[in-house]
Amino acid sequence: MIRVDGLTVRQPATGRTLLSGVSFEAGPGESVAIVGESGSGKSLTVRALLGLLPSGLEAGGEVHVAGRRVDDDPRALRRMRGGTVSLLMQDPFTLLNPLRRAGRQIADGLPRGADAAAEVPRLLAEVGLPADVAGRYPFQLSGGMRQRVGLAAALAAAPRVLVADEPTTALDATTQREVLALIRRVQRERDMTFLLITHDLRLAFSMCERVIVMYAGRVMEMAGAAELRREQRHPYTRALLAAEPPADRRLAVIPSVPGSVPAHDAVAGGCGFADRCAYATPECRAGVPELRAEPGSGRLSACVRAAGLPAAPPPPPGVTAPARPAAEPVLTVRDLRKTYPGGARPALGGVGLTVAPGEIVAVVGESGSGKTTLARCVTGLERPDSGSITLGGLDCSDYAAMDRRAVRLARRTAQMIFQDPYSTLNPARTVGATLKEALAADGRPQDVGALLELVGLDPALARLRPANLSGGQRQRVAIARAVAGEPALLVCDEPVSALDVSVQAQILTLLAGLRERLSMGMLFITHDLAVVRQLADRLYVLRAGECVESGAVDAVLDAPAHPYTRELLASVPDGTGGWPH
Amino acid sequence: MRRISFGVALALAVLVAVGVAAAFAPWLVPDATAQDLMTGITGPGPGHPLGTDDLGRDVLQLLVAGARTAVPGALAVAAGSMLIGNLAGLAAGYHGGWVDALAMRWADLMFSLPALLVAIVVAGVLGGGYGLAIAVLVVLFAPGDTRVVRGAVLEQRHRPYVEAALLKNLSSWRIMTRHIWPNIAPVSLASAFLNFAYALVSLSSLSFLGLGVPAGSPDWGRTLADNRTQLLANPWAVIAPGLAVIATAAALNVVGDWLHERVERRGRAH
Repeated sequence: MIRVDGLTVRQPATGRTLLSGVSFEAGPGESVAIVGESGSGKSLTVRALLGLLPSGLEAGGEVHVAGRRVDDDPRALRRMRGGTVSLLMQDPFTLLNPLRRAGRQIADGLPRGADAAAEVPRLLAEVGLPADVAGRYPFQLSGGMRQRVGLAAALAAAPRVLVADEPTTALDATTQREVLALIRRVQRERDMTFLLITHDLRLAFSMCERVIVMYAGRVMEMAGAAELRREQRHPYTRALLAAEPPADRRLAVIPSVPGSVPAHDAVAGGCGFADRCAYATPECRAGVPELRAEPGSGRLSACVRAAGLPAAPPPPPGVTAPARPAAEPVLTVRDLRKTYPGGARPALGGVGLTVAPGEIVAVVGESGSGKTTLARCVTGLERPDSGSITLGGLDCSDYAAMDRRAVRLARRTAQMIFQDPYSTLNPARTVGATLKEALAADGRPQDVGALLELVGLDPALARLRPANLSGGQRQRVAIARAVAGEPALLVCDEPVSALDVSVQAQILTLLAGLRERLSMGMLFITHDLAVVRQLADRLYVLRAGECVESGAVDAVLDAPAHPYTRELLASVPDGTGGWPH
Repeated sequence: MRRISFGVALALAVLVAVGVAAAFAPWLVPDATAQDLMTGITGPGPGHPLGTDDLGRDVLQLLVAGARTAVPGALAVAAGSMLIGNLAGLAAGYHGGWVDALAMRWADLMFSLPALLVAIVVAGVLGGGYGLAIAVLVVLFAPGDTRVVRGAVLEQRHRPYVEAALLKNLSSWRIMTRHIWPNIAPVSLASAFLNFAYALVSLSSLSFLGLGVPAGSPDWGRTLADNRTQLLANPWAVIAPGLAVIATAAALNVVGDWLHERVERRGRAH
């Protein structure tokens, strides 16, 4: 159905090559996942396939769709898009035109001459939405409903190929599971060829029959999902799988991959993964390893040692979290309430919690649960309506009513790190200036080099601006800024959710290490139960501003008492074909 | 170094020429205002590439000397309104509340007044003069800058890096000047370039109406006004100063856009 042969993507203006030697096929009705981290070239591959590359990029190689070569013929490409092939985009919040009703946007995709009045309700029913959604505007729909409308619009032209680019990354975990289950059901019922782009290997195993693993603009490994899950024949696939922590048990050490994803050109002379690979030999850097078929099986690997790789170590056993002695809490929150002006219901409806020194307390919930509001109230970025916040013995319920000395003391007690590594640092200032200022503000000697080393960065980075750093490096600098004055409490608002998995593990390891070294309490806001399992001692589950369950992490996650906690646990991909159900 | 387009190169050349003229006019053309009534008005010819005006002054020399009054005035207006606009815009966008309301209502009031007309009335009542014209234009241009800066500040205000600075207990002044301002400077700069061009035209207009520089001074607007009766005897005495105003204003816009784009791109660089 789809055949891609020797695909290359170049940027002629700079002479850079972003992607090369990508070849694969997908048969009729077959589901194929392309998995990789950011910079792997997975999105570029499908964009090149659809002829939708951003301007300034040029594709080479051959693309055949339904037996026709399309890459050299713009008219064939146009006919193919929205006809034979449909694309489901990532962000449900921008994929629909905000000024047009959902029904009309679905009708746009129908073939000429189709009866919209009959077809639109039928398509809505197929994606599990009531017919009256057709008359609603996008702002009247939730994220999950918008993505369903997007799917209905993609299905309108009765495509034979459905391409989905991270279709559920922007959705909440429970919604994500529902939408994925829907996509898979529809794909099987219509017997469409399905191409899924994702960064999540376990999700790929669950959704697709075949998996292609990409890294630094090349294909690293290609195999059936079940085979690949059982055994990986490329060290990168192993590392990627290991770096995604499990939600069902706590590991003694979170396996992380040193370094970050290189640019395609930077590793043009050898295997892209060699510099981060534990099995690398000089041969790996001598030339680009070819993607070779393994004798006797359909699987392909681009590792020169594919056949001679030592067997993958068995999955590490779970450990129990070390018990922490009870201590006077550094943070006590009681009956915190907050309603935003114009809000239909309270963002926080009376939440209480404590954090002891050196303890990591996770607050888990989906968007709208009030978890971020809680974090912002604790640090004084938001003002609660009522309730009390005590930080290190200091009443911080209302920052506006505190005198300057008390505010300064509170700021030195509690610091915060944020989700988005791209806006967490001031783009106009160097790393050195940012950290020097932080040290001065906290009354510490201005040793920027030592602070950078504390978070595992090269002191030479002090001269650079954030634009020259990777996402993981930026998040490390943000952590350095926050811990410059050795605060007693660190509030972390989704600090790893915007990072690649291999980098995410590094940051989690860093945070766990800092907790021990500085005996710092942490309030860890997240939606990711796997992260909670690895890092936290206790957790609170928030839903619509109310705490529905709390307790020790192992106790709650092993035997969740509340149905909502069970639902959250069930929405973590487990990599089996049975998920999502 | 990225290659620059022909248009930008041309605009840069115009600005450099105008800048050199403004800076070195007294040395380049020391006798620009020397009259030669015997010659009177002539068309372009040997010794006078653009001819002379009715007082026998060389039009090209007047043009060069005129840059010295036209450019600094416009520069002062752009810089003055940029300063006021940045201070008011930062305060309004950062603090919000009544500070914001006050600054914005003031801006609304200023916007509702026709700039040139106000300048004419004020200059007429107070007796005119170059300094007064500049002061009036600064007051009238500042609200535009204030609005632009305020909008840019509001966009930055809730970025995590600003909140992190807040959590470090830094003073509002430091957060505004050291953290927010460098990130909105490109916007403010683009606005200043536009103001520069507007001010150049406005000051020339005021001079044309006799409310700017005194009669007989070498100024583009003034020269244009003084010679408009001689349009048929030497059209260049009228066209050349007009062209100088238009070319400089256009060049400022082109260069302003180009600088803005460059700064933006640098911020996004990976």
